[in-house]
Amino acid sequence: MPSVESAPETGDDVLTVEGVAVRFGGVAALSDANLTVKCGTVTGLIGPNGAGKTTLFNVISGLQTPDRGTVHLYSTDITKMRPHRRAKLGLARTFQRLELFGTLSAGENVQVGLESSVKWWQWRHVRRAFPWVKSGVPTGDGEQEHPPSGPGSLAVVTSDRLLDGVGLGGLGAEQASAMPTGLARMVELARALAMAPKILLLDEPGSGLDDAESQALGELLTTLAKGGMGVLLVEHDMELVMRICDFIYVLDFGDVIASGTPEQIRQDPMVQAAYLGTVSDTEASTVAHPGQTATDGVNPGSEQNEVAEA
Amino acid sequence: MSNFLQFTVFGIMLGAGYAIAATGLVVTYTTSGVFNFAQGAVGMIAAFGYWELVSAHHVPIVAALVIVLIVGASISGAFVERVLMRRLHGASTERPVMVTLGLMVILTGMATIIWSPTTQRTVEPLVSGQFPLFGINIQYQYVLIIGVALAVAIALRALFYSTRTGLALRAVVDDPDLLGMSGVSPNRMSQYGWILGFMMAALSGVLLAPTQSTGISIPALTLLVVSGYAAAIVGRLKNIPLTFAAAIAIGLAENYILNYVEPHLSSALQSDVTNALPMVFLFVALVTLPSVRLRAVGRLTTMRAPRVAGGLESLIAGGVFLVIAVVVGFSFSNTNVKGITLLTLGGEVMALGIVGLSLVLLTGYSGQVSLCQFSFMGIGAFVMGKVAGGGSLLGLLAATAICAAVGALIALPTIRLSDLYLALATFAFADAVANGFFADGRVYGSGGLTIGRIVLPGLSLGTDTGEFLMMSVFFVLAAWLVLAIRRSLFGRRLVAVNDSPAAYATVGLNIGFTKVAVFAIAAGMAGLAGALYGTVQQTVGTTDFDFFSGIIFVLFVTVWSIRTVSGAFLAALTYVALNQISPSGIGIFAGIGVILIGRAANGILGIEMLHFRLPWVKVPGGAPSSSNGPLSAFGGATSGSEGIRAVG
Repeated sequence: MPSVESAPETGDDVLTVEGVAVRFGGVAALSDANLTVKCGTVTGLIGPNGAGKTTLFNVISGLQTPDRGTVHLYSTDITKMRPHRRAKLGLARTFQRLELFGTLSAGENVQVGLESSVKWWQWRHVRRAFPWVKSGVPTGDGEQEHPPSGPGSLAVVTSDRLLDGVGLGGLGAEQASAMPTGLARMVELARALAMAPKILLLDEPGSGLDDAESQALGELLTTLAKGGMGVLLVEHDMELVMRICDFIYVLDFGDVIASGTPEQIRQDPMVQAAYLGTVSDTEASTVAHPGQTATDGVNPGSEQNEVAEA
Repeated sequence: MSNFLQFTVFGIMLGAGYAIAATGLVVTYTTSGVFNFAQGAVGMIAAFGYWELVSAHHVPIVAALVIVLIVGASISGAFVERVLMRRLHGASTERPVMVTLGLMVILTGMATIIWSPTTQRTVEPLVSGQFPLFGINIQYQYVLIIGVALAVAIALRALFYSTRTGLALRAVVDDPDLLGMSGVSPNRMSQYGWILGFMMAALSGVLLAPTQSTGISIPALTLLVVSGYAAAIVGRLKNIPLTFAAAIAIGLAENYILNYVEPHLSSALQSDVTNALPMVFLFVALVTLPSVRLRAVGRLTTMRAPRVAGGLESLIAGGVFLVIAVVVGFSFSNTNVKGITLLTLGGEVMALGIVGLSLVLLTGYSGQVSLCQFSFMGIGAFVMGKVAGGGSLLGLLAATAICAAVGALIALPTIRLSDLYLALATFAFADAVANGFFADGRVYGSGGLTIGRIVLPGLSLGTDTGEFLMMSVFFVLAAWLVLAIRRSLFGRRLVAVNDSPAAYATVGLNIGFTKVAVFAIAAGMAGLAGALYGTVQQTVGTTDFDFFSGIIFVLFVTVWSIRTVSGAFLAALTYVALNQISPSGIGIFAGIGVILIGRAANGILGIEMLHFRLPWVKVPGGAPSSSNGPLSAFGGATSGSEGIRAVG
């Protein structure tokens, strides 16, 4: 059983990254990154700071051209496609360092995403485009819905409901740049959801949230995945990652050093080495070899494993 | 063959002069992140200062050089960094452009007051005489310029890449705070950069001044470095050897074209080609640049944008404005100011107000800077005069459409690049159009181009009152259009593309299309304003759409508020009024105004203490109406929004 596992067979491959390499001058940010995200799953991407997670997100979303390798959205090669074209195909993302439209209100931020993904003549189909707005995401207060009267108002209503969905009900008129980081991250999330994406890339959405909110975020992401969306999650909150991810990739120094289910990853010595530096370089180099199992060399219940969960 | 050699040597000398100016631009940009539009003006002041010392006060040449190049440039460079630039850290992107333009118009305005343009001044070469080489005579001054340029390029390269100070100078733009933590003062490094930049500017001014065959002139020396801009762009504003090589290539190309191509052109076209060359070089440089990679910079704009008036509110405000216009139109129909009817001046205000509105749309909303709105005005007036006999609605339409198309063509090469390059392209375009196209006697004709007043069936607009009211209606319509655009889907996109281009692209929106579209709309509006301006003046001439006037007007709008309709109107009103009171001092007013406003992105109208609010006007935002924290809708027992606020 190899340490780099294949993704589980739960749906079509919505996103496939193969052999991606990116160099910045003499520094290799990514050496040979490979990963697959399947429909209806939450896939985690973890690794220490500087491992190349955000660079990989930039390659997938088109903000960084790779020196080598390919990125496929379903069967479409999007490696050289411009970012807005990828987004049109159903790829949405949030950013580690906030990228909000700061002078617009929270509601307008979401509206920009909505108006990008839904043409004006398609507004009557908007409910079909956002099924989780209607049913997957509870509105919280059970208010009676009022049918919107036209495309413009439907955009407002839908953006309000999307904000409700991420817990920002009633904050639609707030200027985005005036919001605290935790709330602003949720505006970014709502804006990404407004595009009704097939694949959602989330770059540390949990930072700035407390435990209860992190719990709620996990439930939302699970709900979205159940609706068929593929979710790729970069997150330092290991508890959240281990709880909601169906499959996890571990990146270190630009390489995928391990992949598997949360349980497999939890027990992988490479992961512990990458995070804690407790395995010698000699030992570490052997684990990446083909044929090495994800659980080889792990002493169940050891202190290392427990710390890796933290 | 000897001619070719002669042209080559002169071309290399010219390029070397450009190289000194261009490396100065690169030094300033590398160390401060600011492109100094006043670089040419600083060189011009240095050249005039040197002339003043040597020719008027007979100061020895060496002493004059020390005073101008070392003492003067150091003090003024340090002063500009400390007083003007340091407080712009973190300001909106267009602000450094505006402040350096403000410095440029202050320097040119002061120079015009000190050194009357009617007096001819000639700067003698630093070294006289010549020597024969390969059958041609080479002036020692040429050798000096080439040698100095080479020495400067080598010294700067060595400074930046072989010394600790150079490393700190390069690091200061990337992360001044980090540099500060390593024990180096980022402010001092930035100040060194400005001092070096000013020294380079002064050096190029003093060295190139003697090559001006008709004597030194304020506008010519100020704009001489536009060719240097192209070189700096080829060097991507950071690579000194590449900038140097590009400057030499541009100097050679310019001299070959002037000597081999121009003699075959008609005499009238020759000056047009000469004036258009810097723009051609700049556009070629822009096209050859690789695309700028979109970056997620994580810089969140914290500016609170001015409130956008709602539909009904703007309808009422427009109605009130028109009622006041009717009262003014009928009350002052026979009033004259300095021989011009007040209503003609009022019509000018409305036309310029529409240009101001085009800037609100372009710069205020989408963050792009255009320095050539007066060029579009001039083109619009030209089209108006030429279509359907002048003074027709068809002319208005044609002026708008043609200017929109020209605007799209200018914006296209720059959409792959950062907004600074659009500002540079428009600067060069404005220079080329004003000093090439408009200055050509055949464009407007020797007596100016006649433009009739618009005649609509059953409606006489021939009187001054009728014309003024028509202009007022056009201004109100343009204001409604701009506000309606801002409230629309497209308006949200304009603001969004300015706030975060990376997020804009990743939500599926095409940055290039949006930028070209808004630039074309703004250019069309300026063209319409120019056509209307023509109907007010009834004759437009070569000086109506002057290059510096266009820059000064942009600064006026910036000072009042480039983000509001009222700012556009007040800018037009004060510009026209001050132009009547003190036409020579208007640049200094504008420059000082923009410097005083500094980093206040919303101008005078954004100053909090001037704000008053009508009691019935609702303010969006305010206190959050929900106490729920993020994701509370999912049943999480949140600690409420206060807990999250503590994190933020």
